[in-house]
Formats: sequence, C-alpha cells, structure tokens
Amino acid sequence: MPEKAGDLIQGTLDMLILKTLALESMHGYGIAVRIEQMSKGVFRVNAGSLFVALQRLQRSGLIRSEWKASENNRRAKYYVLTEQGRKRFNSETREWERQVAAIARILEA
Amino acid sequence: MAVLRTIAAGLRSLFRRKTVIREMDQELGMFLDMAAQEKMQKGLSHDDALREVRLERGSLEIAREAVGSAGWESVLETFRQDIRFGFRTLRQHPGFAAVVVTTLALGIGANTAIFSLINALMLRTLPVRNPGTLVELFHQYPGEPAFNGFSLDSYKIIRDGNHVLSDLLVDSPDFFEVRGETLETQKVIGGYLSGNFFESLGLRPAIGRFIGAEADDLGHPSPVAVVSWSYWKSKYNLDPTILGKQIVVNDTPVTIIGVTEQGFAGLLSQEMSQDILLPLSMEPVVHHSSLGWGSMWLVGRLKPGISIDQARAEMAVLFDSAIQAPDVGPYVRQMKFKMELAANGISTPLRQMLRTPLLALMVIVGLVLLIACANMAGLLLARGASRRHEMAMRACLGAGRLRLVRQVLTESLMLSLFGTLLGVLIAYFGVRGILRVITSGRQVVGLPVHIDAFTHPDTHVLSFTCVIAVATALLFGAVPAVSLSSLLAPGLQQIARIGESKSWRRFSKSLVVVQVALSTVLLSATALFVGYVSNLRNLDLGFRRDNLLLVSLDSSHSGYDSQRWSGLSQQLLAQLESLPGVRSATLSETTPMSGTGASSMALVKGHPENRREVSISFVAPNYFRTYGTPLMAGRDFSSSDQGEHLVAIINQTMARDYFGASNPIGSYVTLDHITLREDDTPTYEIVGIVGDAKYNDLRQPTPRTIYLSAYQEGRIVSQVTLRTDIDPEAMISAVRQTVASVMKTVPIGRVQMMTDQIDASIVPERLVAILSTWFGALGALLTAVGLYSLLAYTVARMTNEIGVRMALGAKPSDMLWMVLTDALWMVCLGMLIGIPLTFASKRLATALIDGLPVQSPIPIVVGIAAMIVIALCASYLPARRASHVDPMVSLRYE
Repeated sequence: MPEKAGDLIQGTLDMLILKTLALESMHGYGIAVRIEQMSKGVFRVNAGSLFVALQRLQRSGLIRSEWKASENNRRAKYYVLTEQGRKRFNSETREWERQVAAIARILEA
Repeated sequence: MAVLRTIAAGLRSLFRRKTVIREMDQELGMFLDMAAQEKMQKGLSHDDALREVRLERGSLEIAREAVGSAGWESVLETFRQDIRFGFRTLRQHPGFAAVVVTTLALGIGANTAIFSLINALMLRTLPVRNPGTLVELFHQYPGEPAFNGFSLDSYKIIRDGNHVLSDLLVDSPDFFEVRGETLETQKVIGGYLSGNFFESLGLRPAIGRFIGAEADDLGHPSPVAVVSWSYWKSKYNLDPTILGKQIVVNDTPVTIIGVTEQGFAGLLSQEMSQDILLPLSMEPVVHHSSLGWGSMWLVGRLKPGISIDQARAEMAVLFDSAIQAPDVGPYVRQMKFKMELAANGISTPLRQMLRTPLLALMVIVGLVLLIACANMAGLLLARGASRRHEMAMRACLGAGRLRLVRQVLTESLMLSLFGTLLGVLIAYFGVRGILRVITSGRQVVGLPVHIDAFTHPDTHVLSFTCVIAVATALLFGAVPAVSLSSLLAPGLQQIARIGESKSWRRFSKSLVVVQVALSTVLLSATALFVGYVSNLRNLDLGFRRDNLLLVSLDSSHSGYDSQRWSGLSQQLLAQLESLPGVRSATLSETTPMSGTGASSMALVKGHPENRREVSISFVAPNYFRTYGTPLMAGRDFSSSDQGEHLVAIINQTMARDYFGASNPIGSYVTLDHITLREDDTPTYEIVGIVGDAKYNDLRQPTPRTIYLSAYQEGRIVSQVTLRTDIDPEAMISAVRQTVASVMKTVPIGRVQMMTDQIDASIVPERLVAILSTWFGALGALLTAVGLYSLLAYTVARMTNEIGVRMALGAKPSDMLWMVLTDALWMVCLGMLIGIPLTFASKRLATALIDGLPVQSPIPIVVGIAAMIVIALCASYLPARRASHVDPMVSLRYE
C-alpha cells in the first residue's frame, strides 16, 4: 500500500501509461496530466518516475517515440503505443481485472 | 527482439551521448515549460510557477539522473567516470602511482616470466590429432635417467606384438648439416620418420606431399625430405618452387617433396622444431646408423579405451622379450621399460632438467606477489586514511557506499593494469635473461633453437597474466575498500578519526607481519639454494678446475685418418706446451662435466662373477698431470704404448670395487661394447691407478672409471685441454694460431674455461639460486618499504603526542626505542608465523630437488638474521625522526 496518497505502486505506472497512450499518442507532460485527470487527482506523477518508466517501456518495445509539433506548435517528443504494447495492455488489463475481482470477493466474503 | 532493442538503445546513449543528453534536456524542458504555462494561466508569476512545478513534480535534475542511471549502459558510464576520476587522482600523486605500479610490475612480471617457461615446457600440447592419446616409450638402466631410443629389432617386436597401441610412430631426432643451392651450410635439427607418421597424427601438407609408406622400406632408401613451415618461411620466403629442390643433408642429396602445416615441426615439443624430416629408410644412409639401440625414438598412440597403465603392463612384457634376443648386449638386458603420456611433445633433456626448478621458482614468485599485494594493501590503506576527508565529502554529497567502494576498486584495477603492462615487458626481458642462464656453457641436446617460441605469448600466458592482474587488484584493493565500510555513518567527525582508530592500526600492522613472515620464508629458501650451489661449486672434483682451458677441435671434415691425426695431434700438443704460459696440454675424447661420456660392462680376468658398469674415458698421455689428478700407483700412458698391447688406467673406486685390498696393477680387464674394434671384448692390462675424479655429474658420487689410451685405440680424439700459469682467457688467440698452423683443415669449435663448463653442468641449480636471490631480495625490499612506510606514517601522525611527551620530560632515546620496539614486535610476530612456514616449505623443497641440504639449520638462521637486519634498517629512519621531534614545532603541528 502506498504510504502517502498520490504515490504509485511500482508497476502500476507502466499500465497507466499504456492506458493513456491507448487513447491517443501523447508527450510526457500530457501523459502526467492525463493520469491525474483520469484518477481525479488521486495519482500525482513525479517527473523522474515518469521518464524512467517511459524509457523502460520504449526499450521493451511496448511504446515508441517521435518528435512532432505540439498543440502550441513547439517540437515535443510524442509517445505512441506499438502493436505489441496494445497486446500487453489488453492482457494486463484482463489480469488486473481478474485480480481485483478476486481480491474484492475476498474482502466482501 | 526486446534484448536487441535494449542493447541498441544502450549503445546509442553510450556512443551518441551528446545527442541523447540534448534530447533528454529538450524533453524535460518542454515538460517544465508546459507545466509552468498551465500554472501561469491560473495567475501565478513565472518564478512562482516554476517553483510550484518543482515541488509537485520533483527536481528535473534528479529526473534526468534517474533516467540516465536506469539503463544497463549506466554501469559502463559510471565505470568511465570512475576511470577518469582515477586517472586524475593518480596524476595528482605520481610518486605513489609509480611505487605501486613498479611493485606490481615486478611481481606480475616475475610470475609471467616463470609461467611462460612452464607453459612452453610443460603445458603446450602438440598441434596434432588427439594429442592426449600419444605416449612416449623409454628404457631405463637402473640408476640412470630414462631414454627413448630403441633398436630396429625391438621396434618391430613392439610394433607387431602389442594389442594396446593403434599406431607406433618413429620420430628419431638428429642434427643435420644442411647445404643447398641458395643455403649456407648450417646445423639444423631434423629427424627420421616412419611411414605412418603424418597420417596417424592427422596432419596435412601446406604444399606438396608427405613421406608415406616408402619410408619403412629399409632396402630402398628414398632420398626425399619434408621441411617445416618455419624453415620454408625463413629460408625460402614461402616460395612454392621449393618443391623439387635439392638440399644436401650430411653429404647426402635429398629432394624436398612437401612442407608441414604452420605450427607443426616434429614431436620434440614446440620450442625445439625439427626442420628437416627424412624417411626412416634414410637413417642408415645419412647417419651411417645400423639402427641399433639408441637410434629409434618411439611414440605410440593408445587405442581408444586403453589406459596408459594397461598399455604399460603389456608393453613391458613385450620389451622384456625383446631384450632377451641373443644378439642383445648385457648392458641392454638390464633395462626396464617406461612409458609416459606425450601430449606436450616427447621429452628433451631440457624439459626433464628444468621441470622441478621451474615449479620451485613458481612457488617463489607466487610468494613475492603475495608480499607485493600485502605491501600495496598497506600503502593504499595509508592513502585511504589520508583521503578520508575527500571520501567523507563525497559521502555527504550523496555518493553511496557501493559507489565509493567501486571507485576505490576501479583505482586498484587501473594500478594493476598499468603494473601488468609494465610487468609483461619485464617478463619479456626476464625470459630472455633466464634463457641466457639456461643456454650458458655446454651444448645440450634439446636446447631451444627458436628462442622466440618461449617468449611468444600465447593464450595460456595471456589469460594467466590477466587472472593474476585482476586477482592482485582485488586482493590489495579489497582492503581499503572494506575499510571504507566504516564510512557508513557518514558524519564528518567520525570519519576524521579513522586514521587513528585502533582497528586500523592493528590491520596495517598485521599486513606488515604477513610480509615479514613471507619474506622470512623467501630469505631462508634463498640461503638454502645459494648454499647448495656454492657447495656444488666448491666440491672436491678430484681435479683442479682453475686455469684449465678447453678447446674443442672439429675433426669431422679434416680428411685425416687416425694415423695422420695421431701424428699431427702429438705435434700440436708439443707446440702448445712450448707456448709461454702453458704448463701442460693433453687430448681426450670428452672432458669432465661436458654432458657426454661412455660406459661399458667390465670384467676382471679370473673373476667372472664381478661384472659391473664402468665409465670409459679415452685420453692422451699427460691427461692426469694436466688435470691435476694424482697418479696413486703405476704409470701414465706414453706415446710408446702405440702399437703395443692394450693398457688401461683405473680410478680408486674401480680398484676398490674389483680388487679390494689387492694390487690391481698387472691384472687384465675386458670391456663389452667398444664398437670401433673388431673383437667385441678387448682385453686391457692395468698399468696405473689414479685418484677419483668426477666424470659427468658433480652431484653423483664418482663412478668407477677406466681410462684408455686414445692413441692405442686409433680414435680421433679432439678435445684439447690446457693447464695454464696465467689467466686462460689470455691464451686463446695464441692457441688458435698454433692450431691453425699445425692442422690447416681443422676448425676450432667451442673454447671454454673449465669453470664455465662446470657452471653449465649445474644450470638448474644455478637458475634456482640466481633467481631466488633476486626474488628474495625483491621480497625483502618490499617488506622493508612496507615497514618503513607504516612507521613513517605512524610517526607523522604521532608528532603531536611525541611533542607532548618530550615536553613532559621524555628523552629522545626513549622515543627512538618506542618506534624500534614497535617495529621489532611486528618482526618477531612475523617470524613466529614465518619459521613454521619455512619448515613446511623445506619439505616441499626436498620433494622438488634431490640432495638439498635441508637438515642444516644455517639457511633458516641466515634468513632470520637477514630479516632482522633489514627490519632494523627500515625502521631506523622513522625512529630517528621520532627522536628529533622538536616539542615547540610539534605543538604547532595541528
């Protein structure tokens, strides 16, 4: 359990990034903001953890990056989900739901 | 795929470092901008917005560090940083670096040199198919070294009768005198091969073809030759037209039909290449050999699944039946069969002679390296203490313990690397020096002709050196690294005290104790070996070794028959004796300690039961007077013996063994195996008895020796010995002129002092003595440096305390003693450990070298005394400095 509200448990961040990128390709700051919005401000993403996670995902081939003009017309590095990343996201989502359901059953029992 | 991508990405950030960093900066900059922009839209000022972003998102510098150190390549990156930093630190302390690198270079160089010799002589395997199944066959006369060299008949019996060998090969080495169209006359090592040789070894010709089954047809010698690749390269520059060329080998023309593949040159072991290989059928033609005992060197290949013990058992039975044949002499009948694995090549005297000395030396250089490591550890530790402020600072700035330890280890590794590079250079020249000792003096069959093969580093040597280097770095680097663990509580206050801590002092002292212990062992071993060699050198040989000049005449192409030779040689001796400075001159077939000799079975008339082996020496008149061997009874040979009945002179040992108390003079002796005479067992009248003199090996007791008159036997004896009144060296040119004027067609071979010839006969012992002296001195020097630097450091740290003590009334001599006692304690403790170690290593030394005088307590006493003297010298300077401390100065010291 995270000790402080807003911290992310290891591994979860990867999945949240994949989820964000599954919707559309995005630059680093956009990903951070999107995760906060989607979690309604529960998760706050630290820049260090974010970029380390991005490098890790990129090296394992789940996402790739390209330089593009941003919404306010500046060059920014955009991250794109690869086919492999999409598959991984789907399988991880299923696994996650299975686990959450199992834990929920235990807690409700 | 993912692995490849990770590697590729890592490599990119290693090699396109600037680009990667720039992209990262851009990306992070964008991140910061966007976040700040959003804040500013909510009405914050630019600066406030930036601060808020930092608070919320963490520092971007840290983010960059985190990303940079997340990939695998960051390990290499830190390594690079460590190395750069290490370089800087070492450059700041060039003296320290020089001491460490030199010490290591000497230690590693010594180890590499000895190991490369061991490698060349004992480890390298032959470049042939399945070298592990090759065996070498020997026979051994009781009490003599084992020899390869069988007779044609025994070869056939062994070849056809055994069930344990898949092949029996012949590779009989021989010296050839080779000349040709484009070649100067030159001595070359070569050999005679059986027809199955190349096929069984799985060799292919580089060009041309190999000798085949025709080699075994002794009735039809085929005049062909295969040369080695290195010979092809050095003499023909790899010219393919070598095929079909004629060369003349010992006056017999042969045609070159093929060249061996690169790297292979006979089975003799790799440092001695056989460059000219002839078919076995040529041995009777080229060598005028009847293929009797001693002429055929045999190598077998074990059948699959047969162990060497099984094979040995069966072959021994075959050998016993072979030597029972009616025409075999009694000497051969007493021989025993031996068989050894031959994966490294077949034995040469060099290999047998150097095996144990090299192992002993390997132990010695290992000890030197250990001392060097302890020494380095001490130095690094002292330096670590003086670097504690730097370390503390870095720890406070956030360097983890692992990072600091890694930095220290990297520095040790770098020092070790430099030491190794220099060490390899030292080893290269060291091996040459050692080879010069080995090859000094007399000609030994089996001496390396291609010295390069020794010094040429192969993968064995290189990997050995690398392992040594890394192990050394870890060994001496681990100590200061571990001592860093006390930096774990990184308060500057505590760290500042590490240098004075009790455990630190105790540890430094124990390092010195270890060095003293190992040095004591080394010094004792040195004293032991040196004492042994000086004993050998001063041994009573039965002749006077000083002022003897040996001149070897090469009679092989003189064209003189024995009649003419004997006349000319008597004339030569007379002329030589008339030279001023020459007291007497003589001739003999061999000279003492020359490495050659002859022996036979002797029988005294009337005592058929008393049949023993005696050494034979063919000498001219005046031999005993020249050598200073006393004539005990009877007379010397004289020129008037020529044409009379055969006479002989025996030594005291032979007289005692055959005749006991009775007088041998006038008795008759018969000898077996004097091959040059028609009647196989000639009879000699004993006309004189001389004092015992060593024959061929000064370590062995004097053998029974019979001296025969060279002129009576019609032998062409060509070894001149002169006894001079002045330095023999000054006589050499006069002797050369005299020889040239009397014998115009006879060139002079080797000219040597007797003392040098004796030295050459104890090469292994001298090698160990010379090198252990060097290494012992090196070890002692290192220990002295270790002791000195620890004491000097301690005194420097204690300046304050000493000042206070002296201010309170302590006398300078008290301070002197305080430091000396400290040193003596360490030395005594070291000896307490070292002396039992010395006793243990003496047992090792006796196992390696026969006849070592280990019972004597003198070496240990010498070792201990030397150690104490060295320790006192090393501690005197720091002690003096302690006694000269000025209280006023020292109180201002800190």
